[in-house]
Amino acid sequence: MRIQNVSSSPDRALLAASDVYRHFDGVLAVDGVSIEVPKGKITGLIGPNGAGKSTFLAVLAGTLPASGGRIIFDGQDVTRTPAYARARRGLVRTFQLPSEFARLTVLENLLVAGPHNRGDSLWGALLGKSYWIGDERRLVDQARGLLKRFGMTAKESDYAGTMSGGQKRLIEIMRALMLEPRVLLLDEPMSGVHPSIVVEIQHYLQELRTEGLTILMVEHELHLVEELCDSVTVMAQGKVIGTGTMAYLRQQKEIVDAYLVG
Amino acid sequence: MNSYYAATLAVYAGVDIIACIALNLQFGVSGIVNFSFIVFQAAGAYTAAVLSMPPDNAYGGYQTYIGGLQLPFPMPWIGGAVVGGLLAIPVGLVVLRKLRTDYQAISLLVLSVIANSVITNARAFLNGAAGIAQVPGPFSDQVDPLAQSYQLLYVALTVPCVLLVWWVASRIVNSPFGRSLRAMREHEVAATAIGKNPVQLKMTVFIVGGVIAGLSGAILVGYIAVWAPSVWLYPETIILFAAVIVGGRGNNVGAILGALLVPVGFEEATRMMPPTIGGWVPPPNLIPAMQWVAIGLLIIGFLWFRPEGVRPEPRRVFEGAPVREDPERVLKS
Repeated sequence: MRIQNVSSSPDRALLAASDVYRHFDGVLAVDGVSIEVPKGKITGLIGPNGAGKSTFLAVLAGTLPASGGRIIFDGQDVTRTPAYARARRGLVRTFQLPSEFARLTVLENLLVAGPHNRGDSLWGALLGKSYWIGDERRLVDQARGLLKRFGMTAKESDYAGTMSGGQKRLIEIMRALMLEPRVLLLDEPMSGVHPSIVVEIQHYLQELRTEGLTILMVEHELHLVEELCDSVTVMAQGKVIGTGTMAYLRQQKEIVDAYLVG
Repeated sequence: MNSYYAATLAVYAGVDIIACIALNLQFGVSGIVNFSFIVFQAAGAYTAAVLSMPPDNAYGGYQTYIGGLQLPFPMPWIGGAVVGGLLAIPVGLVVLRKLRTDYQAISLLVLSVIANSVITNARAFLNGAAGIAQVPGPFSDQVDPLAQSYQLLYVALTVPCVLLVWWVASRIVNSPFGRSLRAMREHEVAATAIGKNPVQLKMTVFIVGGVIAGLSGAILVGYIAVWAPSVWLYPETIILFAAVIVGGRGNNVGAILGALLVPVGFEEATRMMPPTIGGWVPPPNLIPAMQWVAIGLLIIGFLWFRPEGVRPEPRRVFEGAPVREDPERVLKS
């Protein structure tokens, strides 16, 4: 059974998965999921714990290989493309658990993600600072711009490992933005975050959408999903059980029974 | 102090510093727990030996080995470095691609034991357990190796190698490439998610470390003139790990300090112990055994009380950063 109220529009989908499977030693965590993530929109991915949302996100990003199916990003099949190469192309994910580089400073956490740095190879490094300092300065400016926007300028020289849970979330989002992504895959960006920072993150995500960024977001806080997401996909037991606006999904008895209790 | 002793200490210090800088690049900066480090040093040593020695039927043919090319300096040292790097390629491709860090460490430890066992038993290859002796040092045909001037010459040849290795390691550690290595050490999956190819990063640093380890072995074998499986047993790697942990993981200065404190300082200090204690003559193997106990205690003590080491990895503060009062050591970038 699949409930849907948004029209399929593959030409506008920047990221599309069709019939994606992922199993772990016989356990089917993702069971034939198809999804389209339209350009310039925030798409929500919701479902009960164990529905396979995070696994599916990891498969989309390449962190986990798909056991079957196809993933198309910007018109190209990336199903067999390794995770690092997908990230370089602009398909960038964040993680459910904090994943900061703890013994790097906040600024370094951002700089390390900066693409096109001539010093980021063995030979570039051996050629010395004069060879790469131009790229480095450009990236420092870009990173400081993000720190200012996210209100973390004062923390730039602190170790990322000493930051609070909410600040680590912001670092991770900024780090992903350093790559100038085209699709951002967010895995529960609000989990374990103080309500005041939740409001901030919500505000930033809305801003990013306005700037044209495409986002796919796994989230449990349904009121946030309702406020942020243009369309929502519901997963349960590894399958998609419905797609539509939150208001629409709330009216579907099967979906309410499966997940949206209350 | 006897000048022979001083020169010996200086060469040993140089070799250990080079080795510790290489291990620091792999373990301290990149998080690769290379428990077979000593194998790469041994590969460099054996290579330098068979490149500089005459064919094995010389000296009455009492030892058997491959090579015996009698190449002039610096070919044996370059050869040692190259073979150290080449050996890192197949080992890295097998160990570093699929395995998790802890399994990598176990595999590398096992590799160290197997390699030693194979060389010990394959006598036709590198003279087995007896090892190779009478390895000629650089210019030993022109200067008497027993003369004091040769000792100074050897120190003079070692020092530029230490400086070169220091230069390479500094450029790597203080560059955006070094930052990517540190990010991989901190969180490999997250580093992949921002476009870093961890296999490529690990292979690169594994090969660079292999080259440097090979060079350290080549320098050492030219000086001590012998090389055998008993000098590169796997615990030798543990001593170098102790040095890097004590000195400060991720910091090249720390690696040098560690090299001076542990392999050089520690072993020399125990050499000064009196042979008898109040008339009691200890068993002959007591002191070497106690050295191992002390090395183990040193590692555990530092990991427990000062895991960052004597000279911790510096925090990098960039030009124009907001002023922040902090007693921690910082490095201006």
